[in-house]
Amino acid sequence: MTFLQPFILWGLPLVLLPVIIHLINRMRHRPRQWAAMQFLLAATRSSTSHSKIKNWLILAMRILAVLLLLLFLSRPLVGGWLGWAMAAAPDAILLLVDRSASMESRVAGTNESRREYTLKLIASAAGEFENNSHLILIDSATRKPETVSVASLAELPGTQPTDTAADIPAMLQAALDWLIENEAGTAEVWIASDLQSSNWLPGDSRWEALVTAFDSLPQKVRIRLLATTQDSPPNTSISLSELARVQSGETGEVRLAVDLKRSEATADTAAITRTLNGIATEFETRVNGQSTRWRHSVEVGDQSGGWGKLELPADGNPRDNVTYYRYSDDHPPAGLVITESALGPLWQAAASVADTSGRKPAKRLAPDDFTSSDLRDITLVVWQAPLPQGDSATALRQFVNEGGRLVFFPPGEAATTRFAGLGWGEKQEADEEPFKIGRWDEDQGPLANTDEGLLLPLNQLTALQRQRVLGQAAVLAAFNDGQALLARQALGQGEVYFCSTLPLLTWSELGGGMVVVPMLQRLLAAGSARLQRDSVAECGKVGAGDLQLEWTSVETSQRGDVQTQAGVYQSGDRWLVVNRPAAENEFERVEDEVVSALFGGLSFQLFQAKRDDTALQGEIWRMFLFFMLLALLVEAWLIRPRAGVESDEPTPKPQPAPAA
Amino acid sequence: MPEESAQPLIEADVVGRLMGQPLLARFPMEGSVSGHHRSPHRGSSVEFAEYRNYVPGDDIRRLDWRVFARTDRYYLKEFEAETNLRCYVVLDCSGSMAFESAHGTRFDYAKRLAATLSYLVINQGDAAGLVRVNANDNTEIPPRRNASHLQLILDSLGQAQPKGETQLIPLLHELAEKARRRALVIILSDCFCDGAELRDALQHLRFQKHDLALFHLLDPLELDFTFDRPVRFVDMEGSHSIVTEPATIRAEYQTELNRFLERLRTDCHEFNADYRRVTTDLPYDKVLADFLTERAGRGKR
Repeated sequence: MTFLQPFILWGLPLVLLPVIIHLINRMRHRPRQWAAMQFLLAATRSSTSHSKIKNWLILAMRILAVLLLLLFLSRPLVGGWLGWAMAAAPDAILLLVDRSASMESRVAGTNESRREYTLKLIASAAGEFENNSHLILIDSATRKPETVSVASLAELPGTQPTDTAADIPAMLQAALDWLIENEAGTAEVWIASDLQSSNWLPGDSRWEALVTAFDSLPQKVRIRLLATTQDSPPNTSISLSELARVQSGETGEVRLAVDLKRSEATADTAAITRTLNGIATEFETRVNGQSTRWRHSVEVGDQSGGWGKLELPADGNPRDNVTYYRYSDDHPPAGLVITESALGPLWQAAASVADTSGRKPAKRLAPDDFTSSDLRDITLVVWQAPLPQGDSATALRQFVNEGGRLVFFPPGEAATTRFAGLGWGEKQEADEEPFKIGRWDEDQGPLANTDEGLLLPLNQLTALQRQRVLGQAAVLAAFNDGQALLARQALGQGEVYFCSTLPLLTWSELGGGMVVVPMLQRLLAAGSARLQRDSVAECGKVGAGDLQLEWTSVETSQRGDVQTQAGVYQSGDRWLVVNRPAAENEFERVEDEVVSALFGGLSFQLFQAKRDDTALQGEIWRMFLFFMLLALLVEAWLIRPRAGVESDEPTPKPQPAPAA
Repeated sequence: MPEESAQPLIEADVVGRLMGQPLLARFPMEGSVSGHHRSPHRGSSVEFAEYRNYVPGDDIRRLDWRVFARTDRYYLKEFEAETNLRCYVVLDCSGSMAFESAHGTRFDYAKRLAATLSYLVINQGDAAGLVRVNANDNTEIPPRRNASHLQLILDSLGQAQPKGETQLIPLLHELAEKARRRALVIILSDCFCDGAELRDALQHLRFQKHDLALFHLLDPLELDFTFDRPVRFVDMEGSHSIVTEPATIRAEYQTELNRFLERLRTDCHEFNADYRRVTTDLPYDKVLADFLTERAGRGKR
């Protein structure tokens, strides 16, 4: 508890004033000669206990009123986040500060970001403990514990804004490691976050282990969460979802697909500034609803490469208004089909790539002819044969790790061989009713809706035969009975897919092409990352190899921190494009109850910061005034004179003398 | 007349107004001489009592010859005897009688009542006596009819001081035994003693066929208990005291007091004693006028 006028607390002994006055008054009671003593004694006996309780209450109310008056005059700053400071000082306070891009949202009505706001509150509260407790900062970007002082908290590099995402379970793990390593006594973990769902990952399996680990610590650890979920001004974020260069002789263009996400669902126009090799151009696009994909192409001629950014005007969060891109003369995407079945031409057509002379079909090989050298310049492999083994499997695993995409179709026979943890089970045939698709991921992945928001016709798709997919994987589409139509397993920078039916009429209607063609085309494009010479990474997830290099921002020509700041960087002839993680653009927040449940039986306190939190502190001393008045009112009620009593010696009332 | 208070014990204008109404006994009295009050014996007054048969030895002058002429039987006509009144004024001189409020002390009020009543009794030719009930020394002046006896009573009243615990109950028992002849006993007291014992004492007096009048003197402050601040109450007949907040015990106090008063009034009514609750804010002459008027009404033959 802090006081604006602490010297007034020296007057606390004044709370004894009512007791002293009571004692003096007791001595000053006027004696009264009384004749009808026998009735007085009888009345006193019967009402003594009630009278005593009442007198104690009156005395307590008077003491309370004086105490509250003193506290009111000393202007206490209690309550809210600062009110936490009332607790005893722990040996260590671990400050877990979320400095992800979403924390740069402005607090409505102020010019402060959520990060700045929470840092201010934390500094105020931690200031009370600075002399008795160690303050350890663990920021979301580096997660490296660092001893800090309150005065420098707002200026530390570890509290500055970043373009990264936050991983709250990982931060708590870092805090746990520090507590174990340093054998701290009593400790508190203060978390400052905006409760963004993608940061908290409430479904993550690490939570359970964390809670168990914190619970088993020998010392008492209290966890306090300062949630900054105040209202923010309207915000629009921008992120690059696709980048492709199409070259035809000396004519070339770069095709961009950009996702615009808005915090409000009303239709509006977004002004986008495109910068390409230092030249800025403005565009306008209509944004309908909360999410829109904007496609744009740029003529680049025969330039070998270039870089640029797409920028939105300032809004509720200035940190999510830019996305960077870089194009080069990378090899175009190409597909490879490995099969011996008659479906080969169909796969080749579906995985074909547009060229100047028209569409160029994918290359086709028999499984036995496949060698690792065939994977050069390939972005997608379609495999419809028994799962690869030996060198073939190793080469394909390497291919996927580098960013390539690999799709397996059922060979028709069960086998024990696995690839990336997945394998083929028994073949199943429909009895009477064909298998129908029950659900699929419409938002992302190869079966997502089109740019125009149209569904792929999976709801019309039926299958007569399918082959069971074995193993744990993300199911992107499933039949009505829950079995997977399309399962995905991430491996390195690439992905492995298992599709459980074939585009044959005896198997399914997949051969119509309305599903399989867009699916393979999307995977073909997604695998292009494998062939890019330039590195593309999300902030905070730059590869270890790239981190060894010294990078210079091409925008500012200064050395930049590629791990925390988005931008286009260059190191010699290598380029690195770092963008904010797309998850940071999501506005979904974790509910308070869910957060509380995550911490299980740990000592946990959630505080919702409000914009007018300083005013809340003011309410505290007003509350003291209110309670003081309440105590006085209760006291007045207790000592109120009974009806008919006016003074000790009232005017006599004539009373007749009744006769017996 | 010896007087200690600023106001005289007997005021001429008051007794002048009250003398017009005689003080009559409600029951037959046993006096020594003839007077205005009924006697339990038959006598020769003008007031007819009854006829009775002649028995040998009766004075034949008292035969009713008119009845003999009509019925041929001997009847004697008897008349009420009338006698004088013996009045004991019992004055409680305990410490509680010194209670004082804005209306003066209760003891002064009682003394004026006692003096005026004594004057009225002697003035109408009856005998008046005074019994002072003190803690250690009771003083008794036997009833006499002569005017000089009044002076003795007034002197005794002038010297009386309220002090100590009340001895009213033993004195009343003693008086009941001592006064053989029927008399009017007027008690002036606040009756702050044990209710059951007081009832026994009053009943004892009535058993001896005394006419009993109890002036229960109370101060309005005692009835209303109108205090609004904590007060240290000091017992006037003892040494102990209590500090209390009147507002909190007022209801209880009044309940206890009213229960006592109601019981006393009921008891007096039961054995035909004349109970009069008197608050000291009332003018004493009005109290006496009411007393005399009611007695005259009931005592009419």
